[in-house]
Amino acid sequence: MRTAEAVTINISFTVNGSPYTIDIEPYKTVLEVLRDDLRLTGTKQGCEDGNCGACTIIMNGKAVKCCSILIGQARDAKILTIEGLEGEDGLHPLQQAFIDHFAIQCGFCTPGMIMMAKAVLDENPHATEEDIREAMHGNLCRCTGYVKIIEAVEAARDHILAGR
Amino acid sequence: MAVDQDYNYIGKSVPRIDSYEKATGKAMFIDDLKHQFKDLLHIRVLRSPHAHAKLVKVDIDKALALPGVETIAVGTDPDIPWAYIPYVSSYYGNPARDEIVWAGQAVAIVCAESVDIADDALDLIEVEYEPLPFVTDSVEAMRKDSAPVIGPETGIPVGYQGPQEEGPNVLGSYKLTVGDVKAAFAEADVIVEGTYNNDKKSASQIEKNSVIVEYNHQDDGVTIYSNCCGAHGVVKTKICTMFPQLPESKVRVIQPFQGGSFGNRLFPTIEPMAVLMSLRTKRNISYVLSRKEMYTSSPSNWPAWTHVKLGAKKDGTIVAEEFKTVEHTGASMNNVYDGRLSGSGLVCVYDVPNVFLDGYAVATNTMPCAPYRGLGCPESEWAMENIIDVLAEKLGMDPVELRLKNLVRVGEHNPYGEKLTSCSVASLLKIVADEIKFHEPCEQRPGPWRRGRGVAIGGKQNTPLGRSEADVLVHSDGSIELLLSVDEQGMGVQTTLQQMAATEFQVPIETIKITRNDTGRTPFDNFGASSRTTYTAGNAVLIACADAIEQLKEAAGRKLGVAARQVTIKHGKAYIVGSHIEEISIADLFEPFSFFAQQNWGLQKGTPVRGRGVYCPAPAVPWSGPGHEDGRTPRMWNWYQYSATGVEVEVNVETGQIRILRIVGTADTGNPINPKLVEGQIDGGVVMAVGFSVFDGHMYDENGVLMNPNFVDYRVPTVLETPLSKHFKRAICPDPLSDGPYKAKGMAESITIPVGPAIAIAVNRAVGIRPTVMPMTAERILKLIKEKEAGL
Amino acid sequence: MRFDYFFEPTSADECTQLLNEYGPDAKPLAGGTDLVVKMRNRLLKPKVLVSLNQMPELGRVYKYDDGIKIGAMARLMDVSRSPLLTGPWEVVKRGAGHVSSTQVRNIATIGGNTCNASPSADTIPGMMVLDAVATIRGPQGEREMPLEHFFKGPGLTALERGEFLQGFTIRNFPNGNGAAYKKYAIRGDTDIAIIGVAARLQVDADNVITDARLVVGAVAPVPLRIPDVEKLLIGQALTDELAVSVGEAAGEWIKPISDARATAGYRREMVRVWTKHVLKEAYGKAVQK
Repeated sequence: MRTAEAVTINISFTVNGSPYTIDIEPYKTVLEVLRDDLRLTGTKQGCEDGNCGACTIIMNGKAVKCCSILIGQARDAKILTIEGLEGEDGLHPLQQAFIDHFAIQCGFCTPGMIMMAKAVLDENPHATEEDIREAMHGNLCRCTGYVKIIEAVEAARDHILAGR
Repeated sequence: MAVDQDYNYIGKSVPRIDSYEKATGKAMFIDDLKHQFKDLLHIRVLRSPHAHAKLVKVDIDKALALPGVETIAVGTDPDIPWAYIPYVSSYYGNPARDEIVWAGQAVAIVCAESVDIADDALDLIEVEYEPLPFVTDSVEAMRKDSAPVIGPETGIPVGYQGPQEEGPNVLGSYKLTVGDVKAAFAEADVIVEGTYNNDKKSASQIEKNSVIVEYNHQDDGVTIYSNCCGAHGVVKTKICTMFPQLPESKVRVIQPFQGGSFGNRLFPTIEPMAVLMSLRTKRNISYVLSRKEMYTSSPSNWPAWTHVKLGAKKDGTIVAEEFKTVEHTGASMNNVYDGRLSGSGLVCVYDVPNVFLDGYAVATNTMPCAPYRGLGCPESEWAMENIIDVLAEKLGMDPVELRLKNLVRVGEHNPYGEKLTSCSVASLLKIVADEIKFHEPCEQRPGPWRRGRGVAIGGKQNTPLGRSEADVLVHSDGSIELLLSVDEQGMGVQTTLQQMAATEFQVPIETIKITRNDTGRTPFDNFGASSRTTYTAGNAVLIACADAIEQLKEAAGRKLGVAARQVTIKHGKAYIVGSHIEEISIADLFEPFSFFAQQNWGLQKGTPVRGRGVYCPAPAVPWSGPGHEDGRTPRMWNWYQYSATGVEVEVNVETGQIRILRIVGTADTGNPINPKLVEGQIDGGVVMAVGFSVFDGHMYDENGVLMNPNFVDYRVPTVLETPLSKHFKRAICPDPLSDGPYKAKGMAESITIPVGPAIAIAVNRAVGIRPTVMPMTAERILKLIKEKEAGL
Repeated sequence: MRFDYFFEPTSADECTQLLNEYGPDAKPLAGGTDLVVKMRNRLLKPKVLVSLNQMPELGRVYKYDDGIKIGAMARLMDVSRSPLLTGPWEVVKRGAGHVSSTQVRNIATIGGNTCNASPSADTIPGMMVLDAVATIRGPQGEREMPLEHFFKGPGLTALERGEFLQGFTIRNFPNGNGAAYKKYAIRGDTDIAIIGVAARLQVDADNVITDARLVVGAVAPVPLRIPDVEKLLIGQALTDELAVSVGEAAGEWIKPISDARATAGYRREMVRVWTKHVLKEAYGKAVQK
């Protein structure tokens, strides 16, 4: 399929369950489209080279850093951002645990942290502290020293397991 | 007043008021606000690749001709307010005029319709530099024959004390003299000395410096949305100084959320140029630094080179201490540094009768400095704690015992002549030594990793830093609103202050609404630094609450015909003694507007009671001048915070890597208002300090250019550098501060101080070397191991 | 960051046609984790991107009679967990699992990591010691090239106009082969490797080394195979002393540079240390089989 020899491309994807079809400049990153076009500013940008993890979202079930993914790579993708986490019955257990365990300070890394943690627990509901740490070393935090973040993810894991 | 335990929120871990917004992505940080502004222009900046150069020519014609480029500012433009930029061209992000003094300094500021266009324009600017000799190393910069950081012909003084005889780059000096050091050393049984240094480092908060300036066409003023500290004390004050055409009435500064600061955001590195562009174009401006610019063009810390000499008696009593300490301020021209701040850490932990502190600050051609969590004390006390361990070794004495023997104590006077009001460092030291099992040998395993344990302590003054104000509004329905301009860099102080107000009014915590940091609405606060906010703003809140409560008592008394002192305000009610009416709700103290009796000078529905609180710590005692020739002042600093760290490390003798196996951090916190928030400060401080002790620091190439301005090569700790939860311990050691609000004090800085020395001491126990430079990178450690093996 | 056209070919023919048409103005896009960053930092300014993401067959990993094929678009996370990569092939898993973070491995590809042509790429030393062959697709069809010859300098590859990397072929190894890879970095996978060392050793029934490969990353403009040092191992059983002396030899042979990650001297020392360990690990695996 030779999609377009125009400046924009036409692309469809879903974000937090809502379908979108847009004509968009192909040089935009997924992060730029989320923030600037869809106004979903919960996903943050802390660097320009995929190293801070603040822009972590879940795309097709996998955590990715969307600052270095072009929108064309999201063709037909299912995207979940922090805005899509709070359900009808309230906060996601991870969000609640981050609040209850004081795992949030300045809060700038928080959306990325929570999305990364969700991907970890989705894939491995029994993830140990070591598993969680190994999976989350691509998310930087300067405030918390990570201690309460790990505490929160483990608490959320236990809460989710208990609810099954 | 007896505190009703139902409404006593002091010492309770109340959830942060901002955590729901932050956990859901609803919290709006600066860059999240930009969609609310039409007509936004974007700033990108051309920066010098040279550490020191004459600016011969800056040709912007081609760049200006690029469609979409609105305007470009260079240093020779008439609207650059040179008269009001006291620091040459460092902290205010303005383009250099004639001389570049560090690599990363602004040369031209481009303002365009998009970031991409602005970037394209940067490529079209032609600059001719004439490179000059430069210096990036502080020891070299201290020499009399060093290359000058700035050419003398510019006429710009390096420091605030005028030319110094020590050399062209010395900003100033500060001497503290107590007793007779020479005589004391002569009587000492043991003398040890050593030289210690550390690299420059950057706070690396995750949110980059960001600002939006909204141009107000109605009055030609500006509204500034900024993540800079000090909406009043920093941003508004500096903008109004730099742009006299803007009256204070037309500058409004709003700080929504801050994604960290740690001192980096104490200077308005981007706001002035965004305002300049807004004034030029009469449009709204967005300016966000890149991560690279966060390293090359926003403030670093100041390292401290320290030579320390201690003299002790055989029994371990330290009788004399002598320091030469040099604060390395980067290209921080015409600034107030003189060695005093880093020096303060050197003399605040141990009680030594004879002291000579020879303090300096020196400039180099590197990014200008700002405070970085600890105000230069982690850098200087690195020397002190290491040499104490050396002294213990030389005396054949237990280092814990040696420390305990020489510690400062509450009620005694320190070398400045200040009476110490709060300190629990002795308990802290004992806690960490026990917890880490400092006195027991480490179990060694086969292979290249060797284990060792270390403990160290630290102390830091609270620099007074001016006033905080608080207003409390008791609305006519009884709801309460606290108006504050405190910085919320992440520490959770809004919640702490909410707890204090709820306890003062004896009401459920959710009754207290916080309105924060909008110079159009909230009263003055200087800025959040030196762990001052809980203490200074907390006291202002208590005063404001007392003021409002007094007004309510008066009103209730008037209404019921009793004296104010017969009224108690709590639970949203006025309780009365000696009247047939026992209680009346606050809301009922407010009279509705009556059409038939228009005048009501008492409390009226729709308009709140306003309690005002102003707190300005420490009396205005001069820091220098006649009577202070010895550097002493009875109240230079405000109070002190102390901390201790115990650590068990593993050192790889093949690679030089250090791994933190176990760590315990403690701090004396005054009376902790919210223990979980305090724990968060301990955790974060400890891990941040592990980073700058072992991994992260600036590296400069042979051209004086920063080599690692990114998150790959500037190695801040990841979660893997934090020990496992079961090996990460922290303890809060309350030590009430008599003049603190609910006897609380600040604690977020001292926690970082002992981490590096504790690690160094553990490394010594593991492999028998003594690191002297922070960070203790693998390369540095391996070099020391090899030197030891070679018998050097 | 801007470019003019974004193409998403669905066949190899279409892909090479586009790449040929736009020549040096075009870049193939795999996971983008390196390319997009380089474009944003204005280090690369292609006018045309040709996405390889709409050709699912490029992501396949499968065994065939003579070995295993790894598609260029196989995601590093999938490679790092592939149950097919057993025995000496496991070294490819190891390398892929060391690239950056979870999020990056979820989207970055093994072909992209290769074509980025960084001397410190974690996937390359492992594949090189397995004598991996690169399959290159161009306007004239397929051609094959030992991976060892694929790299021409930092960021430079043997790909010519119209060509893209289709995948890798790695042969079967008889019993008695063992391979290992070590990434040495301060903060582990988050960092770019200071050095990386991979080795494969083949032993005979008496545990004497009959074939050896040694490849070191981040010590030269390209990932470096060191045949002169490999020779020192042939005909011997690996002892601690031999591992040390071969490590010393490797340390002598390389010509590293100093940069923000390490000085040249430290890199040399680390090559000595980790060559020793990697040889021991590879030998341990070889003699087991």
